[in-house]
Amino acid sequence: MKSKKETKLYWRKLDNSAKIFPISGGKKYSTVFRLSAILTKKIEPKILEEALNQALIKYKSFKVRMKSGFFWNYFEHNPKPPIIEEERDYPCKYIDPKKNNNYLFKVTYFENKINIDIFHSLTDGNSGTTFFKEIIYTYLELLHPEILNDEERKIRKIPEEYNTEDSYKKNYDKKAKSNASSKKAYILKGEKINLGAISAIHEIIDLNDLKKVSKEKEATITQYLTAVLIYSIYKENYLKTKSKKPIKVCIPVNLKKYFSSKTMSNFFSYITVEAEVRKDKLDTFQKILDFVKQDFKQKLTEEEILKTMSTNVKIGNNPFIKPIPLVIKKAVVRLSYIEIRKYTTITYSNIGRIGIIGKYKNYIKYFLMLIAPEPVEKIKCSSCTFENKLTFTFTSILKDNNIEKAFYDFLRNQGIKVEIESNGVLDDISTKTK
Amino acid sequence: MIYPQKLNSKKSDKIVKILLIVSVILAILLYIINKLTSPKIPWALLTNVGIIYIWITTIYSIRKNTNIAGHVLIQTIAISIITVLIDYNIGFSGWSLDIAIPIIIMIANITMLLLTIISHKKYIRYAIYQLIIVLFSMLPIILITERLIRNTALSIIATSISGLNLLITLILCSKDVKEAIIRNFHI
Repeated sequence: MKSKKETKLYWRKLDNSAKIFPISGGKKYSTVFRLSAILTKKIEPKILEEALNQALIKYKSFKVRMKSGFFWNYFEHNPKPPIIEEERDYPCKYIDPKKNNNYLFKVTYFENKINIDIFHSLTDGNSGTTFFKEIIYTYLELLHPEILNDEERKIRKIPEEYNTEDSYKKNYDKKAKSNASSKKAYILKGEKINLGAISAIHEIIDLNDLKKVSKEKEATITQYLTAVLIYSIYKENYLKTKSKKPIKVCIPVNLKKYFSSKTMSNFFSYITVEAEVRKDKLDTFQKILDFVKQDFKQKLTEEEILKTMSTNVKIGNNPFIKPIPLVIKKAVVRLSYIEIRKYTTITYSNIGRIGIIGKYKNYIKYFLMLIAPEPVEKIKCSSCTFENKLTFTFTSILKDNNIEKAFYDFLRNQGIKVEIESNGVLDDISTKTK
Repeated sequence: MIYPQKLNSKKSDKIVKILLIVSVILAILLYIINKLTSPKIPWALLTNVGIIYIWITTIYSIRKNTNIAGHVLIQTIAISIITVLIDYNIGFSGWSLDIAIPIIIMIANITMLLLTIISHKKYIRYAIYQLIIVLFSMLPIILITERLIRNTALSIIATSISGLNLLITLILCSKDVKEAIIRNFHI
């Protein structure tokens, strides 16, 4: 165990991706993602609080607050206890550290649901899931000690091997050249919802049905859903305009699949599927799917991913950028991000299967993942899988939910079972539609 | 149900439209009352600026997700003190107590009422500030009983609005009010 002095002095640098979020973000651009677990029974707040405290002992990299240095922000040990509250606000809202005992994540609960909202500087979806799973495991163990205190968790290694290394620096290639597209993306059109509200619509998809249909089309699930998403945007938003810009879908990629890393910090990159729907006449679903499959094949390779990752690392490591004071960096980055944000139509993040061991599964219905929408990227999509349920989530600030409806109708027409849950902000597609 | 009930987008649009119409009618009414009762003192100008202030602060608060109630409380007290000081320094004709403070109290209470109606699910964040504002709003009653106010009309309206504010709040968020009192005044 670390001495008091060591804990007091603990601090670490932000990883390469984490650096950009506090500089470019703010209340409008919260860069917060949420993971939720729907359990079978109503949540007990006291036990949840205890579970979170125990999880933080194992995952110290989350027990931090952010401080501003002269050149970069940094993380420092946070001696305060975390705050647990009943869910009241919209999902993925900006986490104000001052109102959250300086923590960069927030655990809330509502009825049978536990949420964790995480500021992206702290970690990515993959490591966030690891931490969230630890909270859920511990919560269930505290709640059902007689049933769940079994061998499976006892022999699981306490994650001492976790670390907070900057895996970007370790793995990037100094000579790699940028492959980024120079074309601006089509920006979704439509009136925004008033009063800062965020709509969350979850499409809970039968995984077996989805697998069957995508297999018939010789596509992976991510490819298939990306194609459905582009087709829905094309039909319900793009066709109403005369835009010639491409529909660009940003798809985050978990780099741990490509490079060896055990970091609990961020370690992700992305590929951008760039559908020139008008120019290439991608006017049917089949044409879009064929294009998406081809684009994935070209871009989802180690070589291409390394190029994207390395370009971003090189910016952060540039000897001319490093010594610029943080205040100036902030101003410049915020200005340049006004333009950078115009290069993506929508983001779709699939964190894949959330594996839960043994009897713990019996206490969980399904998981959700949500990403914060932004003034330019007005809709963001995410998905995760638990058992036979894939939950595809739309978080949106658009009043019009035709894209969500078209997506749902398309899957239903393919014979895929889909259920809908929502937070009721856009009522014409509401809770428990089957 | 996996989310706390949220105000539907269409409903919130309707509420905003209704409140906007109410604001315009109120502004016109105040102007007419001003012209009929005391045409020499243009206090309606102040109240109408106050209405605009309410809209700006409410929209800002909701969009930025800030706790506006704390700001409203501080501004209410600070501006009240400043007006009394100004009045005192220019010969104390009593306009600060007769007109300014009641108008400030009205604005503060209407702002809090708007916040409560629009986002009553987040009310726990505002509760303690609102209770203090309601307490502060009782000040004109003390001033009336101490005979420090000559023109009591505005003071009575202000205190009545405050009472109404408290009543609506108790109807909408009684559980939260109770929790806020227990949380803040536990021994």
